[in-house]
Amino acid sequence: MAAAPVAAAPILKAEGITKSFPGVKALDGVSFDLVAGEIHALCGENGAGKSTLIKLLAGIHPHGHYEGALSVDGRPAAFGGVADAEAAGIAVICQELALVPAMTVAENIFLGAEPTAAGLIDWGRVYHESARLMERFGVKLDCYARAGSLGMGLRQLIEIVKALRKESRILILDEPTAALSGAEVAALLDILRDLRRRGIACVYISHKLDEVFALADRITVLRDGRTVATLAASRTDKAEVIRHMVGREIADFFPRRRSRPGETLLAVRGLDVVDAEGAPLLKGVSFEARAGEVLGIGGLMGSGRTELLMHLFGSLGRRAAGSVELAGRPWNGGPGEALRRGLALVTEDRKRYGLVLDQSVGFNLSLSAIGRMTAAGLVDAPAETRANREVFESLRVKAPGLEARVGSLSGGNQQKVVIGKALQTEPRVVFLDEPTRGIDVGAKLEVYEIVNRLTDAGKAVVLVSSELPELMGMSDRVIMLHEGAVGGEFRRGEATQEALMAAALGHRPAAA
Amino acid sequence: MERSASFRDFSLLIALLLIGAFFSVMSPQFLSSRNLSMMMIELAVTATLALGMLLVILPGHIDLSVGSGVGLIGGVASVLVFRHHWPSPLAMALGMALAVGLWTLMGAVIVRERMPAFIITLGGLLVFKGAFWLVIRNATVPVAAGGQANLYSLLTTYYLPRPAGYGLAAACLAAVAWAKLKAAARRREFGFEVPDGETLFLKLFLTGQLMLLFVVVMNQYRGVPLTVVVLGLVALAVFVVTEHTPFGRYLYAIGGNEEAAVISGVPVDRVIVAAYAVLGAVVAVTGFMQTAYSGASTTTVGELMELDAIAACVIGGTSLKGGRGTTLGVLFGALIMTCLLNGMTLLAVSPEYKYIARGAVLALAVWMDVRLSRN
Repeated sequence: MAAAPVAAAPILKAEGITKSFPGVKALDGVSFDLVAGEIHALCGENGAGKSTLIKLLAGIHPHGHYEGALSVDGRPAAFGGVADAEAAGIAVICQELALVPAMTVAENIFLGAEPTAAGLIDWGRVYHESARLMERFGVKLDCYARAGSLGMGLRQLIEIVKALRKESRILILDEPTAALSGAEVAALLDILRDLRRRGIACVYISHKLDEVFALADRITVLRDGRTVATLAASRTDKAEVIRHMVGREIADFFPRRRSRPGETLLAVRGLDVVDAEGAPLLKGVSFEARAGEVLGIGGLMGSGRTELLMHLFGSLGRRAAGSVELAGRPWNGGPGEALRRGLALVTEDRKRYGLVLDQSVGFNLSLSAIGRMTAAGLVDAPAETRANREVFESLRVKAPGLEARVGSLSGGNQQKVVIGKALQTEPRVVFLDEPTRGIDVGAKLEVYEIVNRLTDAGKAVVLVSSELPELMGMSDRVIMLHEGAVGGEFRRGEATQEALMAAALGHRPAAA
Repeated sequence: MERSASFRDFSLLIALLLIGAFFSVMSPQFLSSRNLSMMMIELAVTATLALGMLLVILPGHIDLSVGSGVGLIGGVASVLVFRHHWPSPLAMALGMALAVGLWTLMGAVIVRERMPAFIITLGGLLVFKGAFWLVIRNATVPVAAGGQANLYSLLTTYYLPRPAGYGLAAACLAAVAWAKLKAAARRREFGFEVPDGETLFLKLFLTGQLMLLFVVVMNQYRGVPLTVVVLGLVALAVFVVTEHTPFGRYLYAIGGNEEAAVISGVPVDRVIVAAYAVLGAVVAVTGFMQTAYSGASTTTVGELMELDAIAACVIGGTSLKGGRGTTLGVLFGALIMTCLLNGMTLLAVSPEYKYIARGAVLALAVWMDVRLSRN
């Protein structure tokens, strides 16, 4: 582990932190420290443990729910909740801002801590003190503007001023620039540099290495819940950081059986997609998926992977440009039609989009295909049970039976039910979005086996995954998305983890 | 889940017995065959509406306008029969078409404009009430001219001949037995758990006894009311729709997890509109029965019936969040509501206290729903 020189005593220190969730060790002996007036960047792949670490520092995972020790100003700290962390001067600015759009900037800054006089809110003080705070920290915002009328960058500033109002000395920013434009990013970085001069320390989390290197004094890289390295930003470069981020060994076993790719079943050309407000989600995405082939799609959180699948399935965004062909015919429809045309989606968030948790395994298995299992308008119960039984057995769902409540199953078995529901519609193209997230190793292998069987049967599989080894191990081809566009395409065998990660970060290896 | 449900069923039965015992002690007429016969007609009206309500609560919506709708649709038919001398079947058919149209429209507005059902149907409550009073011109409009009988009035005044009552009970029992045995055979074929023969026989025996008791009591008065037969048909239809059609599955899926339903290819919007359309037909049937039971359209027909229908659903184990509820549960909930209202009427409880009791029962039922869905 490379050690960086530490000039002053740390104001915040975490030592040997281990935090487990049922079935997963999110943090495993992580150490991290922050000195006054420094900006310390935290880097790592999705699932490396960054969010868990922040939640711990912010008191969201309270003391007693993790092993290891936190200290503030050299004194042991045991946060029982967010209020304790705030009292210690720590403020977290999340990706999802906690602002009330209809309130003014000053009202938001003092939300929940309105100064009162004789039981009534002292509005004069609210605006006066807001203005003074901003002057003190060199932030320029109109106190009377409605938060909702401001751009994302300015809204972020409101959150920062709100934190400063609480006398916070430590700001934790989680992907603060994810939704910002170039100019907004530059303004935010200036503000953060200015705050650093005023003695505010900052933990900065970002996937964007350009920003990290423009801003940070030190960089800590997390991987699989461990601290891999803490580096002085002036003595390292992007290539080294990327190497630390991906240095995971491909120890897992990926039983990919190759089959000969057949006809093109899905062809996407120059696809531009915008959300309801017209903001771009995808930019000029092109790819093909062929029968008998697994196309892997990678990218960091927010790179547009899920948005791409959801859009093609007809449940997200509006197509601004480009064309999509499904089995040779133009395609632009909703989920019901997609299923009828032989396109099925296994969603990333199975609890939210995949299952009706209160209902039985059988109910869920046949939900997508129940319209086809009828006789004289009524559900053909024997046919339904037969079909469900077949899927249940072929996917080896471990459950007391078809009548068990699906919410009572383990994650891996719930995942098999979601996959089974999709297969009941007899699709030709199957989208699998993070099909192995949150399931144990045995179930993962079974999911890989299902993927093999699908391609053996001549179906095209599009696999989205955050885990590079899985992506490389299971795909015949991989495309990496970066900020809604294709950052690189790789054949099986020609991709290294470093190359994939560089493509995901929008970073050209040649420049490294 | 299973345990709390069965505990809940059990507590409902006890509540019903306690309510029955209380009123039968307080008023000797409560268990008279005449009162029980009237109570069955009241039950039929309340339960029919509640079963319609179930169809929109299952996908997580609500309808506050059904009470006013009952008045309006009954009123339209009365006016056509009494003032315009239409044949009653034609008048009722027009009322039915009007109801289906209005409810389809409300459903379409709810899904198209993404407006909360609560607000749209609250608007419906007021609009339909106003329209109702306009239609009957704030007067009393009998359902049949000059004391004559027609199909409309017979809805609540016709009783099946006594032997027909027994025949009907026997036919129902045979149908239930056939369905149960067939289901058991199918479950055995697929290796599911099957209740043993003794339990099955005991259940059928008990069902038969209850049906026999029902017909005997009804026949002591005038026979099985036609209204109860209507309820039976509506209940059978709702049962089949919710348990044995894709449409029914979709209702549960939307209420259980709407986002998952969308991704699963469920045509959510069309299902919701259809549920409201069917509810419209149920409102029309209820409107005819309730108006016929009053003998005439008056300004108060249908008032607050939406609340009784919602209370019956919730008491019977329907979740207001959607995704949970059964036909049998709703029938049971309606029975409890009917017993309460009928008993209070017998005891000549003043309207002030009846309102308070109704409100308390509704609040209590929703509280139970919230408590149970929290576990």
